[in-house]
Amino acid sequence: MQAGACSGDTMSLLCADNPSWPELVTQYDIDVLWQPSLSTRPMSALLQDIDAIINDQLELNILCVEGSLALGPNGTGMFDRLDDQPKAYVIKALAEKADYVVAVGTCSAFGGVPAAPPNPTECTGMQSFKGEGGGLLPDDFISKGGLPVINISGCPTHPTTIMQTLISLVEGYPIALNNLNQPEEFYTTLVHQGCTRNEYHEYDIEEHEFGEKGCLYYNLGCQGPYTMATCNTELWNNRSSKTREGVPCQGCVSPDFPRDAPLFKTEKVGDVPVTLPLGVSRPRYMAYKGLANDAAPIRIIERKMKP
Amino acid sequence: MSRKIKLQLNRVEGDLEIELEVTDGIVTNAWCIGTMYRGFEQILIGRTAMDALAITPRICGICSTAHLYASVLAIESIAKVTPPANAIRVRNICLLSEEIQSDCRQSFLMFTPDLCHLHYQNQLDYARIVELFEDLKGEIYQGAIIHSRAIIEIVAIFGGQWPHSSYMVPGGVTSLPDQRKVLNALSQVKKYIQWFEQQVLATSLQEWLNLSTLEQLDRYAENTDSAMALLHRFCRSLSLDQVGDGANLLMSYGSIINPEEPDQHYRQAGVLDLSAGQSPQSQSKSASLPYLQPQSQTQALDPSLIQEDIAFSWFHDDSAQARHPAQGLTQPKYDPDSDKYTWAKAPRYDGRVVQTGAVAQLAVAGDALILDLLTKLGSTTWVRQFARIHRQASSLLHLAEHLESLLQNIDAPTMVPCPLEDGDGVGMIEAARGSLGHWMSVREGKITNFQVITPTSWNASPRDSDQQPGHIEQSLVGLSIPDPDDPLEVGHVVRSHDPCLVCTVHLLDGGQKHRFGA
Repeated sequence: MQAGACSGDTMSLLCADNPSWPELVTQYDIDVLWQPSLSTRPMSALLQDIDAIINDQLELNILCVEGSLALGPNGTGMFDRLDDQPKAYVIKALAEKADYVVAVGTCSAFGGVPAAPPNPTECTGMQSFKGEGGGLLPDDFISKGGLPVINISGCPTHPTTIMQTLISLVEGYPIALNNLNQPEEFYTTLVHQGCTRNEYHEYDIEEHEFGEKGCLYYNLGCQGPYTMATCNTELWNNRSSKTREGVPCQGCVSPDFPRDAPLFKTEKVGDVPVTLPLGVSRPRYMAYKGLANDAAPIRIIERKMKP
Repeated sequence: MSRKIKLQLNRVEGDLEIELEVTDGIVTNAWCIGTMYRGFEQILIGRTAMDALAITPRICGICSTAHLYASVLAIESIAKVTPPANAIRVRNICLLSEEIQSDCRQSFLMFTPDLCHLHYQNQLDYARIVELFEDLKGEIYQGAIIHSRAIIEIVAIFGGQWPHSSYMVPGGVTSLPDQRKVLNALSQVKKYIQWFEQQVLATSLQEWLNLSTLEQLDRYAENTDSAMALLHRFCRSLSLDQVGDGANLLMSYGSIINPEEPDQHYRQAGVLDLSAGQSPQSQSKSASLPYLQPQSQTQALDPSLIQEDIAFSWFHDDSAQARHPAQGLTQPKYDPDSDKYTWAKAPRYDGRVVQTGAVAQLAVAGDALILDLLTKLGSTTWVRQFARIHRQASSLLHLAEHLESLLQNIDAPTMVPCPLEDGDGVGMIEAARGSLGHWMSVREGKITNFQVITPTSWNASPRDSDQQPGHIEQSLVGLSIPDPDDPLEVGHVVRSHDPCLVCTVHLLDGGQKHRFGA
């Protein structure tokens, strides 16, 4: 189901190739009841299926939701309708019947961009609002299959993360969830790991302007050193990643994305970023950075190395 | 006897609701209803201008590059900075790749699967249509999945990922093009061209672009066994070339900025009035590359004539007057019991209803074949859809040429300094679906006003205070619907407009913000 969405996760799905969307459906023998951008059945069929599911006449194994769940105006949910009903509440009713519920993308996991202040549509995520309670479903919700809502966040979610999560559910492979109910398999690697600008980060060569070769963490708002996602270990579109091409990581998998601060600037105390690489102590980090800078070779200082 | 039917439509981007009044099997009135609102513009207010580069791409997953491009142009227009030629090349390369991706997916994943409906099983060529276009299984469907994914890799090569990256920044682009990247991208283009020439056209791009009249196209379709020939014959046999005519005023903001002369476009901006009497004439006759010449009936675009009307939209404005987007005001007021019926506003050009998109863009730019089809068939369902497949041919050549010239200038700069200044700016470009504008005001470094008019806002607009129905609404009137319980024809007409309903955006005053996807 697609709620307050941009279709970005659907586009991500279409960019998957191991397997591709048609391969997933045929190789794993999946009966796709509905995909809003791709299904060839008419919408009336969807409405009949929804009725049948809610009346226990049709089984729903996996419910995937893309987009934020609008509860406005004034709690009516009518900012986003399906057949004159608030779509959020239709989705809630389906979630209660599904074996597993997957929130695809940061919007349906945590609210995402539409939930940024002032949250004009009073929207939220499936089971969480920005990593806390207050989602569409109660905090203690467990689907019929025994799991809470599985949050595969990302703006958009990486194609491989979508595919492998679905395959694991279909095949019954284990899915271990972390404290944000994200599958650990995909959220235990920092974006920083595998960034081709690490050669510069290592020697404390940090850029102040865009379009340069060095590291983006100190000044340009990059959140790679403390954001858990596979962007630099499982490349995007089989090619690259934002940080490799000089775009700071925005932490788009995080519950507070987009953070309520300038997105292309690093907030600092003195010369040092407020948020340090995950788990690092400030005094030791400062000592290390000073030494690293002293050790920087000419090829790095003169930015001879291609990122 | 007349009855009203309400239809929800999928396989457009976002959900669309259409209400039709049907009398004796003919549509006599249509209402296009925007059922969703997200509030993006409000989220931007109070943030720094740069933040728009991360937020606006997320308006739309299909055209995130176009939104990024419009936002960066708006910021640059305030500082009056023009980026260097190589930055424009990289931007164009990414936007063209996104356009080809969108045209491909819209045509072969969203429009053509409808032709496989059992209703058409007795039509000539039906078996072959199913072989090629059936969802998931058809040869062209599968090819479109593979090749749309491959062409969009080019955005990742230069911008890190697609969708939703922020590699265009004021003054240029963040990434550093090098020979490796250009050759990687060129190989993707060549792969796509090979598929498109062999599987879709069964002829070379150059040969294809030599077609300049309906008669030549018909001859091609009779004598060629290709997906494109089959589609042309099949859609003609279903009379899709006769129905779905909409607004007569075609508009384009101009596509593919010339890197060397950034005030020029390879596909020029302008408006073209099909109702102005004479048939439009093209002056371009099969040039070796599709550099189109301005054609005589195209008039210059005057952005000051753009206004948004809210007479039938769920908004409130005491002045009750249409407003230019730079003075835009968006105060939502949901009132299902009034005459108002949609979350979408009604943009108008000089008070007139406009259509925008591939057919308008190519016609305004003087594409000979498109102008001939418009003259002989009108801006009908098949002509609009045809334009979206046809456009890929010239866009692929532009893309290849841009990559070649990037390679020749590989050491030239991709950034110039661009101060972030206060002021009022605008970014107007052609997204895959048509004319996209971002109007932005910045004071003390913070965004104080942001208005977005998307292509679908133009095409799927509601009625205005002069009671003029919007373009898609007009295109449905007169359509014959033999079976009102399964009105297949409506799907063809509406999908041929390539509506993107996640993309209709509006903004509130008083520090509140709202976004509407129709």
